[in-house]
Amino acid sequence: MGATFVVTLREAFEASLILGIVYAYLDRMGGRRYYGYVTLGAAVGFLASLALGVTVTLLSGPLVDLGPDLIGLAVIFGAAALLTWHGWWMRQHAREIKADVHRRLEAALTARRLWVVGLIAFAGVFREGAETVLFLWGLMSQAKDAGTWSNVLVGVAGIALAAGLGWAIFRGGRHVSLPRFFAITSVVLLLVAAGLFSTGVGRLQGIGWLPMSEPLWDTSQILNDHGFLGSLFGGLVGYRARPSALEVVAYLVFAVLAGLLVIGPGLSRNRRAPALAGKRSPEQP
Amino acid sequence: MLRRGVLVGALILFVVAGGTPARSADPPEIPLTIENHRFTPEEITVTAGTSFVLVITNKDATPEEFESHDLRIEKVIPAGKALRLRMPALKKGTYNFVGDFNQSTAKGRIIAE
Repeated sequence: MGATFVVTLREAFEASLILGIVYAYLDRMGGRRYYGYVTLGAAVGFLASLALGVTVTLLSGPLVDLGPDLIGLAVIFGAAALLTWHGWWMRQHAREIKADVHRRLEAALTARRLWVVGLIAFAGVFREGAETVLFLWGLMSQAKDAGTWSNVLVGVAGIALAAGLGWAIFRGGRHVSLPRFFAITSVVLLLVAAGLFSTGVGRLQGIGWLPMSEPLWDTSQILNDHGFLGSLFGGLVGYRARPSALEVVAYLVFAVLAGLLVIGPGLSRNRRAPALAGKRSPEQP
Repeated sequence: MLRRGVLVGALILFVVAGGTPARSADPPEIPLTIENHRFTPEEITVTAGTSFVLVITNKDATPEEFESHDLRIEKVIPAGKALRLRMPALKKGTYNFVGDFNQSTAKGRIIAE
């Protein structure tokens, strides 16, 4: 029963972490009325997970063998790109965000930005959603007495705890200063994105589209990636106990490039967002 | 619009071609069964450098997820279904796998030598 709890907790936390950060981001940006976009994205992600679970269960054939892999890859690489773009955008507007949050960010929160946070919410839920759906469905179909039904409840409890943790992250985001909030979430999302990218590269190796290679190191004695903590880090930031050279290189290259975009030295420090150019401080001519 | 259509068409062709084996010799098929949340056999030995097909049959009434970080594979196998997994040629070594939904009992390894 403990194993059930751990499975659903781990899978759901990967989604609730992202949702918690995204909701907190809207909250700090004065965009609370846009919560619906995130909720909608998450809801669509949930429905898509159900649909994929049903499809995989009912249908057969080569398309069903490879289909979920391709969808998974699209979601993984898409999410990595979205998170990076989101981090880059947050950084571009960090200066405006520091003072007078409300007025300046009205212009910044254009409809296209909202699509991005909605998509991020969708990807966060959908990535592990189908597996979690199938896992719970399997438990429910096997439930026939109090013992097996309580196992289903335990599975649901794992999801509830994950949601609670995501909520705690959302609330916690209110108590730190704005610059620190952006600094922390930028780093977290950057690691998540790098982990996603290297996971995608690993999956390409797994289906044979990229060559396999020997593991570069073996840290399974320190942190076994099939244990709870190890697989949690594996899902969140892409930790692998025995990563291939390609996965390590992919992670480092992505982290460095995205890091430059999101955190590193700015290329155009004095550029302002065009919509706000006219509303600068009085000293500007 | 046309260019995108061509790209999508090319991608579909690529995927279908990739899914259709066009080799002169069929790679060997190795059966793996999931029953009572355990893998049978728990140890599979293959020849290193030769690709093969792992045919995983889930005889349980619940879905299982075949997961291996070493092989970079994560596939859900619904109850009662069989999955044909085309495995690339492996270098010598041991590759662990687990049933992600029943990790305490479902474990095994592939040894390439």
